[in-house]
Amino acid sequence: MNKFGEKKDDDSESNSSELMLINLDKGQVIQEKRAFNETPVQPRKCSLVISQFLFLLARGDSFTPNEATDIFFAATKLFQSKDIPLRRLMYLLLKEFSTISKDAIIVISSLTKDVIHKIELYRANAIRILCKITDSSILPQLERYFKQAIVDKDPHVSSAALVSSIHLLKVSPEVVKRWANEVQESISNKSNMVQYHALALLHRIKQHDRLAVRKLVNSLIKNSVKSPYAQAYLIRCAVEVIEETHTEDRVYFEYIESCLRSKNEMVAYEAARSICSLKGATPKEITSAVGILQMFLCSTKSTLRFAAVRTLNKLAQTNPTAVIPCNLDMENLISDSNRSIATLAITTLLQVGNESNVDRLIKQIANFLGDINDEFKIVVVKAITNLSTKFPKKFRHLITFLNKILRDEGSLQLKQSTLDAILYVVNTIPDSKEIALSELCEFIEDCEFPDLSVQILNLLGQEGPLTNTPNKYIRYIYNRVLLDSGIIRAAAVTSIAKFGLLYEPMKEKIMILLKRCLLDEDDEVRDRATLYLSLFKEDNKRVLERVLIDDLPVPTQNLQRSLEAYLAQDDTTDPFDIGTVSTVLEQTQSPTISGKLSQTNQLGASSSPTNASTPGLSAAESVNQDLAKLAQIPQFATYGRVLKSTELVELTESESEYVVSCVKHIYKENIVFQFNCTNTLDEQRLDQVQVKMVPSNPKSMKNLGFMAIDQLKCNDPQSCYVSIGYNIQQAGYPIVSFTNTLKFKAVDVDPSTGEADDSGFDDQYPLERLEIVPSDFIQKTYTSNFKEEWEKLPDPPKPTCFQLLGVKTLKAATQEIISTLGMAPLDKTEQVPDKSQKHQILLSGKSIHTGTLIYAQARIKPDASGSNTDVALVVKSSDEDLIDFVYSAFI
Amino acid sequence: MFKAFVDSILNFFRSLFWKQEMELTLVGLQGSGKTTLVNVISYGSFIEDTIPTIGFNMKKVTKGNVTIKLWDIGGQPRFRGMWERYCRGVNAIVFVIDAADKEKFEQSKQALHDLINKPPLANIPLLVVANKNDLPNAAGTDEIIQVLDLRSIEGREVCCYSISAKNSVNIDITLEWLVKHSSSISK
Repeated sequence: MNKFGEKKDDDSESNSSELMLINLDKGQVIQEKRAFNETPVQPRKCSLVISQFLFLLARGDSFTPNEATDIFFAATKLFQSKDIPLRRLMYLLLKEFSTISKDAIIVISSLTKDVIHKIELYRANAIRILCKITDSSILPQLERYFKQAIVDKDPHVSSAALVSSIHLLKVSPEVVKRWANEVQESISNKSNMVQYHALALLHRIKQHDRLAVRKLVNSLIKNSVKSPYAQAYLIRCAVEVIEETHTEDRVYFEYIESCLRSKNEMVAYEAARSICSLKGATPKEITSAVGILQMFLCSTKSTLRFAAVRTLNKLAQTNPTAVIPCNLDMENLISDSNRSIATLAITTLLQVGNESNVDRLIKQIANFLGDINDEFKIVVVKAITNLSTKFPKKFRHLITFLNKILRDEGSLQLKQSTLDAILYVVNTIPDSKEIALSELCEFIEDCEFPDLSVQILNLLGQEGPLTNTPNKYIRYIYNRVLLDSGIIRAAAVTSIAKFGLLYEPMKEKIMILLKRCLLDEDDEVRDRATLYLSLFKEDNKRVLERVLIDDLPVPTQNLQRSLEAYLAQDDTTDPFDIGTVSTVLEQTQSPTISGKLSQTNQLGASSSPTNASTPGLSAAESVNQDLAKLAQIPQFATYGRVLKSTELVELTESESEYVVSCVKHIYKENIVFQFNCTNTLDEQRLDQVQVKMVPSNPKSMKNLGFMAIDQLKCNDPQSCYVSIGYNIQQAGYPIVSFTNTLKFKAVDVDPSTGEADDSGFDDQYPLERLEIVPSDFIQKTYTSNFKEEWEKLPDPPKPTCFQLLGVKTLKAATQEIISTLGMAPLDKTEQVPDKSQKHQILLSGKSIHTGTLIYAQARIKPDASGSNTDVALVVKSSDEDLIDFVYSAFI
Repeated sequence: MFKAFVDSILNFFRSLFWKQEMELTLVGLQGSGKTTLVNVISYGSFIEDTIPTIGFNMKKVTKGNVTIKLWDIGGQPRFRGMWERYCRGVNAIVFVIDAADKEKFEQSKQALHDLINKPPLANIPLLVVANKNDLPNAAGTDEIIQVLDLRSIEGREVCCYSISAKNSVNIDITLEWLVKHSSSISK
């Protein structure tokens, strides 16, 4: 840039101006803009003022349109100056303010003069501003300037024109497309940057024409582009061609592979990354890509290490074996000073880990735990938790490891996540219960966070009595009554009482312990002890169960919200009625006990592991929103609580005029179909929108009614509902599919004014079919010893065989079977090893109605033609109806 | 040799003290000939195909020891609101009107009075130039003074010339008037 005549400031001067910028006041700088109007122009003074404006923008200060317009117009006075550094700053200022200022087109005439000015800096900068202020009406008049600039021999000007054209493609694509010849010409420019920008623009111009893109890539692959930026971009284009056309032509792969050997790290990395992401890459290609990444892992540049380990992390999710050669290098990265790199290294290693090396890995991580901070430990804890579902047999190591973190110094946040993790492991692997409980008992002896103690006491009370040796926990719990604060003592009393109820032999001893609590100084502790003791004396098991074990009739969060609303209202003469509280269960993200002193048990059986394993908060949040909406609809209030809400199914193409998707909410004897409708036409309003569902088998269910949307305006998504009833005892599981039609009255609306035309017309719109599948009624469960459970159940006569038509790969077939059945895959059988000819999937789940366990074993292999997949399915459960229902999904 | 050197130094100092600078803004309806007039003043010749000005052009012209900065603002309706911004603080406002286009006189009058009634522009001398007097039905200065109601303007110096930028008629007296209104600045 020095050739543009930029003068370096003296050190002392730049220091002083830096100091001046720190406490800059916007109002004051706006006053200073009068410098632009002075005659003659003083370049130094004006430059400083412009720098200050640019600094304010960079700092995030905002300017009103009026302020921006004043500044913009004042700055246009500087077009008279011939001082090059000042002009450069002026262009920057105009560019930044052109989008906020009104009437920015005022500079177009002056800029078109500068675009053909003899000074390159003027040309390049003028183009960049022009691109920001032209609209499609002015662009045709400027076309020739752009064409000329694209082929300008100065690389800065050419680059500016090319990049601006990329932006202009959004404004008026037709005009920019006419410049393709000029752009093609500048691809052969000597400058790396120009080559890159020209390629990027040309690719975008041809984006919607696959054949043209393919031609472009073909010709450039042969001509060997020199610019590394352009090479990296070309690799991406090649990937796009491979993915979009599913070409068998290896020429693209060969090109990408050849780039692996590039001396430029960026190009080599881009090639390696692309190969790792491509489905059609051969093992040999992947091996050489991983080899490059392995080299980067040892690089001194942290960006390279990060990029490499991130790519390997992604690869490990689909192809763990390919990553194994890098294990040693990644283990070294665990202690990397850059925390992002270390985190990725650990999560990758844990993903790659197999039964045999997981122990070693956990030990290794334990060694450096002391050196890392809490935030990072939480990441480790999460990664470890994921291991529990993969290697259920390793629970002993996992629990010991988690417990070590729990005992070490740490923040509440870390401890809470660790406790959540332990609870999760206990829930998913029943075998781990005893060891986890005794570790937790040790922990509460010396726990500084009352919240955690309460949660653990609750867990002990619930799980302890059901273990083989309930006696040993009592001492730990009673110690809390003697030593801890009121909140914890209260929780301990409740926990003790549960032992008395659930483990009959200890009842007498429990009553003695409760008696000792009667003189406690805390009201809550005394109250609880008194209540439990008198109930034990009466031997009133029914009430005890209700108090200690049963859930509240409503979810705690709902109760809390209703109570808060009740207290907020002025008139509290009427007593609070628990009947008014919504009963719809709001699923919680973690299997933690939410209420500190509540006597409810949300833990264990009632909170399903599927909730905890739902990745990402957003999905869970949207389900929660749906449920909250449902709860407000009085028609559905009598249905009880929602047993399960299914995943969103799209019923239209995402770019159609009306977009509809469906969520099924399963109740005990009802299904509510929630249709999320979006109207994308701004000249139409839809009234009385409803979905008409025609069942294939009307006998197995009855239609209970629907709720329409009154008015559906453009881009304002709303939901309509259809409700059906079913009865498993009488009519069996509803094996049925529906033909769906969207019905509505279309009313024309003037998009500019929003006024509606009075007359509307009835119309309808066909939607995709919808089916009731086993996964709607089955919940995932995990078991650590599938074999044992499987052997226990009676064998069916013979496996049911069928074909999945049009499913070509084992991976796709596995996905389809898992999603249709809605059961949890065990022993990593959801991952099909590469190149295998057949595969076996083990699945377990339970009925959402009865909790009856159900197991399935599916053997799959491609049929002779290679275009379908043969499946042999065996389903075992004590519930015959459920078995039939599962089979029905495929036959 | 020595004398020449002293002379050149003297000239240099003289130019420092006598150099004058002025700033003008040209406004008027679209197609009245503002950009053409600027070109005639700066290059001394008429350029055939001038394109409509989108925004403004800035030109510096030196006549004798006077440097004139010319702000030539587009005359399309969407730019008229911006005229004022460029008229503030100038030595004179030059309002150009197409003397042959009688249909637009009323519009011109409106635009002119809207502009000069703006308080920040009080007292700035106004020169009205009736351009295109080479055309057969061009109005004379008297008629222009009447249709633009120039006599009603108070508190500033107002002058009106009939010119032809195309044929360079009366450009010299126009410049003379303008230079008279330049302010001398001492550096």
